[in-house]
Amino acid sequence: MFLVAADAALLVFIAWRAALSGASFSDEMGRMAPNVAPTILAALGQTGIICCGAMDLSVGSILAVAGTVFGVLHARGVGPSGCFAACFFVAFGLSAYNGLLIRVLRIPAIIVTLAGLAFYRGLALILAEVASRGFGEQFTLTGDAYHRPGQMYAGWILLGALAIALWGECFGKTPRTWLALGNSETACRLSGLDPAKVLFSAFVVGGVFLGLAALLDVSNHITIEPARLGAGFELSVIAANVLGGTSIFGGQGSVAGTALGGLFLYLLGPAMLYAGVDEYWRTAVQGAAILAVIGIDCALGRRRKMMEELR
Amino acid sequence: MRRIALPLLLVLEVAVLAPLSGVRSTHFLSTFGAYANDLSIQAAPILLLAFGMTIVLISGGIDLSVASMTALVACVLSKFEPGPQFWVTAIPLGLVLGAGLGLANGLLVAACDVPPIIATLGTLFLYRGLCEAVLKGAKYNPFFDVPGYSRLGELPGALILVGVVLIVGGAWFRGSRWRREILMIGGNRVAARYAAIPVGRRLVEVYTLSGVLAFLAAVCFTAHDGSASQASYMGLELQVIVAVVLGGTAVTGGRGTIIGSVLGVLLVAVLVEGLQAGGSSFWIQDRLPFKFGNLRFVLLGALLVFGVWLNTRRSGERPV
Repeated sequence: MFLVAADAALLVFIAWRAALSGASFSDEMGRMAPNVAPTILAALGQTGIICCGAMDLSVGSILAVAGTVFGVLHARGVGPSGCFAACFFVAFGLSAYNGLLIRVLRIPAIIVTLAGLAFYRGLALILAEVASRGFGEQFTLTGDAYHRPGQMYAGWILLGALAIALWGECFGKTPRTWLALGNSETACRLSGLDPAKVLFSAFVVGGVFLGLAALLDVSNHITIEPARLGAGFELSVIAANVLGGTSIFGGQGSVAGTALGGLFLYLLGPAMLYAGVDEYWRTAVQGAAILAVIGIDCALGRRRKMMEELR
Repeated sequence: MRRIALPLLLVLEVAVLAPLSGVRSTHFLSTFGAYANDLSIQAAPILLLAFGMTIVLISGGIDLSVASMTALVACVLSKFEPGPQFWVTAIPLGLVLGAGLGLANGLLVAACDVPPIIATLGTLFLYRGLCEAVLKGAKYNPFFDVPGYSRLGELPGALILVGVVLIVGGAWFRGSRWRREILMIGGNRVAARYAAIPVGRRLVEVYTLSGVLAFLAAVCFTAHDGSASQASYMGLELQVIVAVVLGGTAVTGGRGTIIGSVLGVLLVAVLVEGLQAGGSSFWIQDRLPFKFGNLRFVLLGALLVFGVWLNTRRSGERPV
C-alpha cells in the first residue's frame, strides 16, 4: 500500500510540474513504457529467483553479452528477426547456465553470479573485438526495423508478460515450489522436491523474462557499448524487488509488488528532473533513496527477526 | 598438502607469467628485481583492502563498496590544495571520511539489519554517485606537489605502510579476543549473542575498519598515480574478494586467515601484472584478435568460482 501511494504521489508530482512547465503529461507517459519495461521484466524473473533464497547479480552483464551479440549480427547484415532471436536466446541461455552451474558445483548462487558479473562483462568485450574487425567502443544500430520491439511494442509486451506472471503466481505449481524452497530447504526436501532442481527451474523461468528484457532494452538503444550497457542494471532489478516487498532471504514476494517497485524506481528519474536536482547529484540521490527505502523496510522487520533468532 | 598448495600455485604462476612481464634468464637478477618491484607496488593497496575484506568475510558479511569508498576518499583528497598543509588538513579529514563511510555501512548492516550484500551494493552506487557530485566532471591532481607524499606510492614507503598494517595489525589480530568473537559471529550469530558478544557493535567495528583501510589504500593509490577520477578503481572489489576467497576464507563466514589472503592477493596480482604486460608490448597481442587485458574479467570470474569450489569441497559443506 505504501508503494502504491508513493507511485501515485510521484505521478501526481510529475503531472503537476509538467503542467506548470507546459510539457505534455501524455508525452512523458509515452516515454515511460520503453524505459521501464526492461527493468520490470528482468525484475519479475528475479522475483522467482529471490523467492528461492538465491539471487542473480549478473543480469547487467548478461544484458551486455546479449546486446553485443545483437550488435555483431547487425554489423554483419543479419535481418531484424534473426538479431531478436539471438539476443533473446543468449540472455535466456546464460541465465539458465548460471542455474546449471549452481546446481552442478553446489556453490552459493551469490558467488556464482558475482563471478558471472565480471566473467560475462569480459566475455562481451572480447566477443565484440573478436567478431567485428576494427571495433571501436560501440555499435551503432541503424534501421527502424531493429528498434521496433523496444520502441513501439514495449508496453504491450510488458503487459502480456505481467498477465502471464500473475496467472502463474495464482494458478501455477512451479512458483509455489520456489516459495517452499525459500521458506525452508529441509521441508522442501522432505516433501519430495529436489532443492537443486527447484532452484534451476527458477533460473530457467527467470531466463525467459531476462531474454525479453534484453530484447526490449537493446532494441531501445541506438548505440550499444559493450563496456557500459547494463552497468548497474542488477542493482535496479534487485532494488525493484526489495521495494516491492520481496524478502531477500526468500520465501516471500509478489508480481504486483515488483512491478510497482520498478515503476517507482523509474519515476524517481523524471521527478528529479522536474524538481531540478543537480545533474551530478542524480546518481547519489537515487542511490540514497533506494537505500533509505530498503533500510526502513529492513529496520521495520528487524524486531520480528530478532525475536525469531532468540526464541 | 593443503598448506603448500597455495604457495606452490603461486610459484607455478610466477614461473609461467614472469617471462611475459619482461623477466629474462640472461639478466635474471636485475629483471626479476624490477618485476618484484612492480608487483609489490601494485599489490600494496590491494593487500590493505584484502586485510579488511578478510575480517568482513569472517564475520559472515561482505563489503562490495570498498572500491567506491577508496575512490570517494581519493576524490575528496584530490580537491585539497597541494603543499605541506595537505598533511594536516586533507589526511586527517580523509581518515575521518573513510571511517565514516565504513561506519555508514556498519550501521546499515547492524542497526537496520539490511543484508550485507544488499547494503554494500547500495553504497557501492551511492559512494560512486558522490564521487561525481564531489568532482563535477573536473579532475585535480595535487598529489605530486605534496612534499613527501609520493614516496608512499614507491617501493619503501608503500612497503612500510603495508608492513605496519599487516604485520603489526595481523599479529595483534591473530592473538586477540576480538578475532575469536568475530569468528564466532560468522560461525553462528545466535550462539554469539547467547555468549554475550555484542554482535551489533562488533559488526559496526568490522565495517568501520574496512573503511579506514580503504582510506589507507586511497593514499597508497594516489601517491602512486598522482590523480583520481570518478571512474577510478571500478571493479576492484571483485579482485579483492577473489583474492581473499582464494586464500581460503569462507564466504559463509566463520573461517579465514590473513596470511592466506596475502597469498591470494599475490596470486591475483601476478595474474593482472602478467596480463597488463602481455597486452602492452609483447608478441601475444599481435596473434590475438582482442585486447589481452580484457581477459582479466573472464579470468577473475573463473578464479572466483574455482576458489570457492575448492573451499567448499574440502570443508565438506554442501550449501544450496
